[in-house]
Amino acid sequence: MSALSVAWNALTSNWSIPAAFFGVVWGIIGGALPGISPSIAMALLLPFTYGLDPVTAVVLLASVYVGAEYGGSIPAILIRTPGTNAAAATVLDGFEMNRQGRGGEALGISLVSGLVGGLFGLAVLVLLTEPLARLALAFTPPAYFALGILGLSVIAGLGGGSLIKGLMAGILGLMIATIGTDPVSGVPRFTFGTPDLLNGVAPILVMVGLFAVSELMVQVTEPAWNRTERGAVRLKLPDWLTWKRMFKPHAIGSVIGTVEGITPGAGGTIAAFLSYNEARRWSKHPEEFGRGSVEGVAAPECANNVVTGTALVPLLGLGIPGSNSAAILLGGLLIHGLTPGPMLFERNPEVAYGLYGGLFVANIAMLLVGLVILTPCLWLVNRPKPYLMAFVFALIVSGVYAIDQSFFDVGLVLAAGIVGYGMRWMGLPVLPRVLGVVLGFLVESNYRRSLVLSGGDHMVFLEDPVALILLLCAVGLLAVTLVRELQAARGKSRLAP
Amino acid sequence: MRDLVTGALGLVLAAVYYLAADALPVSLLSDAVGAAGVPKALAIGLGLLSAMLILRAVAARPTFRGTGSAADPWPHLQALGVVGLGAAYAALAPYLGYPVAVAALIGVTALYFGMRPSPRLVLVALAGAALFWGLFVKILGVAMPEGLWPRLIG
Repeated sequence: MSALSVAWNALTSNWSIPAAFFGVVWGIIGGALPGISPSIAMALLLPFTYGLDPVTAVVLLASVYVGAEYGGSIPAILIRTPGTNAAAATVLDGFEMNRQGRGGEALGISLVSGLVGGLFGLAVLVLLTEPLARLALAFTPPAYFALGILGLSVIAGLGGGSLIKGLMAGILGLMIATIGTDPVSGVPRFTFGTPDLLNGVAPILVMVGLFAVSELMVQVTEPAWNRTERGAVRLKLPDWLTWKRMFKPHAIGSVIGTVEGITPGAGGTIAAFLSYNEARRWSKHPEEFGRGSVEGVAAPECANNVVTGTALVPLLGLGIPGSNSAAILLGGLLIHGLTPGPMLFERNPEVAYGLYGGLFVANIAMLLVGLVILTPCLWLVNRPKPYLMAFVFALIVSGVYAIDQSFFDVGLVLAAGIVGYGMRWMGLPVLPRVLGVVLGFLVESNYRRSLVLSGGDHMVFLEDPVALILLLCAVGLLAVTLVRELQAARGKSRLAP
Repeated sequence: MRDLVTGALGLVLAAVYYLAADALPVSLLSDAVGAAGVPKALAIGLGLLSAMLILRAVAARPTFRGTGSAADPWPHLQALGVVGLGAAYAALAPYLGYPVAVAALIGVTALYFGMRPSPRLVLVALAGAALFWGLFVKILGVAMPEGLWPRLIG
């Protein structure tokens, strides 16, 4: 009860509540723009926090994080362009729903799933910071490698009906992830003397190219523009039946988002993909996934927003920033002479509990702001197709350039667009490739670090208990997927004449 | 047919990638796996999967029917035209400056997608450029290219 009163006093004795609303609006704008990641949106506001009191500053930055992680799903659903890495999993069913004239419904599901996830993540943060922070410390390089393998095991289920093609696409993604400086020896790999490639290829560039540019390329060949019916250009919040359908994917997203969030470095992207895959596995209607499934939007959106709360567990519990966004928040704390970690709760309880209260306000603000802005967003994407495509293209090239002020990046995105177009023609699924790009560095660098630490002994992956559990989970997931694929193949062969 | 093409392209890519990995320099700081270790394993994996895809396609013995979309290269060229517009933007923006380049991109892309030339199109392109310039340059503070204008004017 005293914690609640501390939080209430911290929020109401300054500008924290307006700051939470402003932060959410800013975050949604940043998250919706491809190229402006949540951490960049936060970093842009960091200099303005110098003059604010500590609670307001921390609440402002955390609210930007909440808004940005949600905002990424808006362009993912409306224009097939994930605004953030974590929104890539939402593209598949969200955009399909929009194409079917159910964009308002998809945005409504994404909004309430984000709210459910955000509040669940906050509850975990408030109640379990101390014990979960200890778990985060148990993650060693072998455990990170195993975590990456667990993420990659999802690829088997994302093949879109062909395991071979899914695996091929996953390997292509892993190949892209090997571009850049070798994580152990520092040797430049596949850079062909280009300094722009030394840091590797950012996953967001690959995603924007594969999803958005390839969609533009497809759209230009399809002259017919299926105008959405008038009633469908309004935001539609889920009805009771939809809520019932979303219960399971929300539960899945909450659990996976919690585990991934507290793991430094894992983040919302893996959580979103894993949740999508598990929601399909446990769904009564797995055949709807990829064709506009309610659960296919709810699970990744919930997981992604759970992470906004749980990613702060290692920061507040141990002082370890587990992601770029958490590092910016750490910067915000340090600017005001605050040291995150267990002592923060004893020395500056108003900041810690004020942050909790601010995150609660930010999640409510996300709902309110979403209710206001989403219908105009729907109206915007129902403008004449040539104008819409022209603005989407301008947004892509501007957003991509904004990442590093590099036209080389724009070229990379266009190249990824050609590859994405080719992959569509070949029937290669895009999501495994994205997953490969996202997880490639994590898997390879930790695999090799583990071997360096163990003197080349592969038993290190079985001797580490966390790694062993995660690897067993990965094997289990693969086995279940393979059995289902085989059953589906047998069913098809029986039906064949 | 598409699986055959996909498999063949996969095999070629696997071979090229393997050779490129094999040519990577060996560092004195290298570990037991080495910079080329994982790439080589990936190349072998892609090669095996591509071969499996080819075998599966051959075993299925599809009857090839030349559909309009497969035989007609026009839609693919039209799609590549979009990339061409983006490439032209990237090439010209450093000289034209961001506002002019993005206005041109919006206008030309709308035309390419079937909009007829009209004063309204010009207005939309200019308004769009102003919107993006305000958003990225003024609000977000991104240093977009200024082009040759500062030198020409000042």
